[in-house]
Amino acid sequence: MAISTEPTGAEPPAGGEPYPRPTASRPAGPKPTAMPAVPEPAQAQDWIVLSGVTKRFPNVGTPALDEVDLAIPRGSFFTVIGPSGAGKSTLLRVLAGLAKPDAGEVFIFGEPPAEASRRKHLGWVPQSPALLPWRSVLDNVRLPLQVNRRAPCQPRDPERILALLGLGETLDRLPAQLSGGMRQRVAIARAFAFAPAVLLMDEPFGALDEMTREHVAHLLLELWQAERPTVVFVTHSVGEAVVLSDQVSVMGKGKLSEPVDIALPRPRPEGIEDTEAFHGLQRELRARLREAFAAPGD
Amino acid sequence: MGCSVSCGHGYERPSLRRATDHLRLATWAPPLVAFGVVLLVWELLATHERFLLPTLGQVGADLTGHLGTLLAYGGATLAEALPGVAISYAVALLLAVGMDQSRLLTRAVLPLAVALNVSPLLAIAPTLTLFLGLGRAPKIVMTAIITFFPALINALAGLRSADPKALEVFQSLSASRWETLWRLQLPASLPYLFAAARVVVPLSVVGAAIAEMVAQGSSSGLGVFIEQQSADAQLGYAWAGIVTLAVFGLVLTALIVVVEDRVLRWRGFKQ
Repeated sequence: MAISTEPTGAEPPAGGEPYPRPTASRPAGPKPTAMPAVPEPAQAQDWIVLSGVTKRFPNVGTPALDEVDLAIPRGSFFTVIGPSGAGKSTLLRVLAGLAKPDAGEVFIFGEPPAEASRRKHLGWVPQSPALLPWRSVLDNVRLPLQVNRRAPCQPRDPERILALLGLGETLDRLPAQLSGGMRQRVAIARAFAFAPAVLLMDEPFGALDEMTREHVAHLLLELWQAERPTVVFVTHSVGEAVVLSDQVSVMGKGKLSEPVDIALPRPRPEGIEDTEAFHGLQRELRARLREAFAAPGD
Repeated sequence: MGCSVSCGHGYERPSLRRATDHLRLATWAPPLVAFGVVLLVWELLATHERFLLPTLGQVGADLTGHLGTLLAYGGATLAEALPGVAISYAVALLLAVGMDQSRLLTRAVLPLAVALNVSPLLAIAPTLTLFLGLGRAPKIVMTAIITFFPALINALAGLRSADPKALEVFQSLSASRWETLWRLQLPASLPYLFAAARVVVPLSVVGAAIAEMVAQGSSSGLGVFIEQQSADAQLGYAWAGIVTLAVFGLVLTALIVVVEDRVLRWRGFKQ
């Protein structure tokens, strides 16, 4: 589906590696090592950086985030997978400024999350669509354009985004008149409507059936290809992670593994799930997940 | 959408569905049977205890015979009840907004509201009459006091009923408190406010009538009418006044349901 939209961040270089790869340890240079390094200040504008981030909850022994270091370059699609309770959602909440870390630092393109949020650089897609039931589909998508108007943003045409997501015929319907998959697509359209630099997606397809998941994931991929925001995506699904991402990290007991490169060509067509390369990456991630489950302390 | 009954995609317009519901026997039969049973028991009791309870025929005759008087007295009661409930709702909503934002205010105000709720009106009435005079003002204030607590509790519950995930979306956008209140919390609280109105508005009519009975110097209103007729052992007239009060309550409740159906149209859509 060819659409023309304005760029939201750094465009990928032509040819070769399509865009910078995220790393759980450092942003540039040789292969990432176990010791993390924060990007140099000159580079900070183009990276999401977590440095030594720890987050504990009262009366819980294991920290939700245990000295997490992470650096994600602008314009990439980074996915975190892991078992329930591994700290994935907490990681996203810290990035969104919805939770404050007990220790460590977080920077979204050189600014703390609260400032990024104030400047409307963050789009948040929760697990449930969280649509306002009294508003039509179109009005739900317009919501981000109607709040915090002082923040400059380059709004997209909500009707165009809805059409791209296959919801062009539902503009005047209420959320209760839509299926679960359609509602989730509206939530995605709402996040894209104000063209945020970063999209934080917390298991957005968790409540959908397998077929709908695949379909919506490919629609998201098309929209991302067109808009190219930096995406931090949390999921339980290994297949979904491979289809969507540039890199995938496994999270277990508050710790983030070295990311796995998803060396599949882009754009990724529907049916890529049937290729041997896809299955190989799935096997590698499953092995990492088993390690996360069997981490010391079990 | 522009569809008549079915939109062709498996959904029905709620207003039309409800309109057909209203015509169904299953909708009307239960309340009619319940009313019938109550009236039958009444008639049996009145036949055996004619000095305690007038017969339905007597009440009906007194009601139709003095309808103009009853409506005039009822109008006076409504003129106290409706401003009272309006003041109560406005203050309750403002306080609930403040309490939703400030735990300190909640801690300060809630015990006071509970104390006001459990205070006997009979004890407050003389003081209010001394302060506000013999006119409508003390009755309006007493009505407001009677209806205030349920309005406050429902308004607070409504404001806090907003979807936490939607609240997170507002937070992630750095929406101001006012924007969150106006675009999320107040619309989310409307079902609670209407549920409270169904209780509080009819209660305000009863509250105003009681205020007329206990406040000194009252000369109009159904409360005065009922009290005078009871004192004169005119039980038929007294019950005609009570029935008028009940009809006012039913009509007001029906009006609220109609407005609620229109305002909360989005709630009626079912897959």
